[in-house]
Amino acid sequence: MVSELRSTINSVKSRAFHSSCLITATALLSFMLFSGIVIDRSLNNGMKNMDRRLGADLMIVPKGAKEKAENLILEGQRGTFYFDGSVDDRIREVEGIKEVTAQCFLKSLSADCCSSEVELVFYDPETDFIVGPWIAENYSNSIGPDSVIVGSDIVCENGTIKLFGKEYKVLSSMAKTGTALDTSVYFPSDAMPAVLADAEAKSSFLTEEQKDGDILSSVFVNIEDGYDTSKVIEKCRQKVGDVDVVYLKQLNESLSDNLLKITDVLEFVLIAGTVLIFVILVLINSVIINDRKQEIALSRILGRSKKKICNALIKETGCISLFGSFIGCGLGALIVIPFGRYIGMKLDMPYLGPGAAASVIQLTVIMIIVFLISLFSSLFVVIKTTNIEPYLALKKEAE
Amino acid sequence: MLISENISFRYRKNKKQTLSDLNVKTDDGDLTAVMGESGSGKSTFLAVMAGILKPDQGKVLFNGEDIYSLDDRKLSDIHLRHISYVPQSNIMLKHLTVIENIICAFKETEDEGTLKERALALMDKLGISELGEKFPYELSGGELKRASLVRAVLMSPDILIADEPTTGLDKVTGDRILNFLREYADGKRSVLVATHDEHIKDYADKIVTIERSLR
Repeated sequence: MVSELRSTINSVKSRAFHSSCLITATALLSFMLFSGIVIDRSLNNGMKNMDRRLGADLMIVPKGAKEKAENLILEGQRGTFYFDGSVDDRIREVEGIKEVTAQCFLKSLSADCCSSEVELVFYDPETDFIVGPWIAENYSNSIGPDSVIVGSDIVCENGTIKLFGKEYKVLSSMAKTGTALDTSVYFPSDAMPAVLADAEAKSSFLTEEQKDGDILSSVFVNIEDGYDTSKVIEKCRQKVGDVDVVYLKQLNESLSDNLLKITDVLEFVLIAGTVLIFVILVLINSVIINDRKQEIALSRILGRSKKKICNALIKETGCISLFGSFIGCGLGALIVIPFGRYIGMKLDMPYLGPGAAASVIQLTVIMIIVFLISLFSSLFVVIKTTNIEPYLALKKEAE
Repeated sequence: MLISENISFRYRKNKKQTLSDLNVKTDDGDLTAVMGESGSGKSTFLAVMAGILKPDQGKVLFNGEDIYSLDDRKLSDIHLRHISYVPQSNIMLKHLTVIENIICAFKETEDEGTLKERALALMDKLGISELGEKFPYELSGGELKRASLVRAVLMSPDILIADEPTTGLDKVTGDRILNFLREYADGKRSVLVATHDEHIKDYADKIVTIERSLR
């Protein structure tokens, strides 16, 4: 087995130029498939993720904060925009409103726990229907002023997190979103005055609005069945003044259309690229096998059956495609995984990269696909060559 | 014993009849020389006899069985153990040493150590024992020819077919090869040689002459 493998590797190494061409082509194919599939899956995951994450019909934000609110939905990037703390109660009174919950964001405050800044979100556990469904692990105790829920990327020691010199018990963490929400800390809204006081005591810069404390950033609303959404929005505006409204279903539909267009282009590029590289592989294999006609003929003269020769050539193909796949997928992983969030931002789409297990499965599947493509690209020429009369191949007179 | 019965062959490329109705029999212990001018079809005939070029008509019988009627596995087994062919050109795998080239095709059937031992003994007989660890590009044409011969006889085949084994060699090396072939035939085996070398007449038991006019 070991000597067979050594012999296969030696044979591949002996044709350094041709093998390099094949390795480059398979690496290119693997890179393209890996990157393409990861981006495609991540966009779809991001979309599904966003869909599940936003269990509201409307998001009401202060006038002029619509773009920031959409950024929050797509990329999880929170902005500092506030209206007064009674908005949610007033909206609750509007006819046709089924449920209302409010959140307040404090953007980018440095914490003792983390090297980068974290964002603080205050939500009302009593009325919440946004944070709760997104919690990855259930917790038995209800959230109090000394406890928090953290985003999936926040690392805490011994189940606690230190913010502005004070330790908070981490009750649970959120499921991964692939957005800035993963570095947020969620407090119950009644903890807000104390947290702000601690922040001020620790010389964190707070705006006048933040110091005031009675503020909200956004109000999430679900509408009763049978009510016209635009009429309900109108009534909300009458009740609370001029506000911006993000109609989440509409946003979702528009993003789904975009996703469809992007994935269509991506799939076309992947299929066209794969066909092109397959043709290139066939050409390279034809050149290689043509050069090896004499060697193959000699093997047959010395008593190796066609089957054994095919097996040996398939092993070489396997060796080359394995090496090429490792390079291609490795390169793909190095480029696509760390820059996933940037890709999502450039495409204006929610993006949730695959986890480690999914990446390993993807890598394995792509290696199998690349091996099969390499195999099919060489099979025809291998079979054709082994069927040539050995003497004609020796004389290079094969027709 | 190898018998050709009414062998005819024409190359598809030039459409010319190369072999026509050839009947030749090689007996155990015989060295048969196939002679004829260039282009007469000697090499083609040897290839047909070796089972590496299917004739258009006729049969090649080995132990009473037409080798071209056998499936690939059985024909491969015949090439591995019974009928060996030395091509006119010295084909070796350039990434393997000479000794590895000689034994590589047979590693699956016999122990590597035994094969090496046998190869070295044969190389010694042909005066190339010190070349085992060299690579093919380091060898002269005569040395390569002898290495090819060692590879062909390593499994002691019943029939040895050599195409122009002395062409381009000096007289001493040529004689050494012819002596080796004679000795091989004397071991109750058949040797079939295509050559222009008139000197073969001193070694051969039988001369078959192929006329160019056959074409």
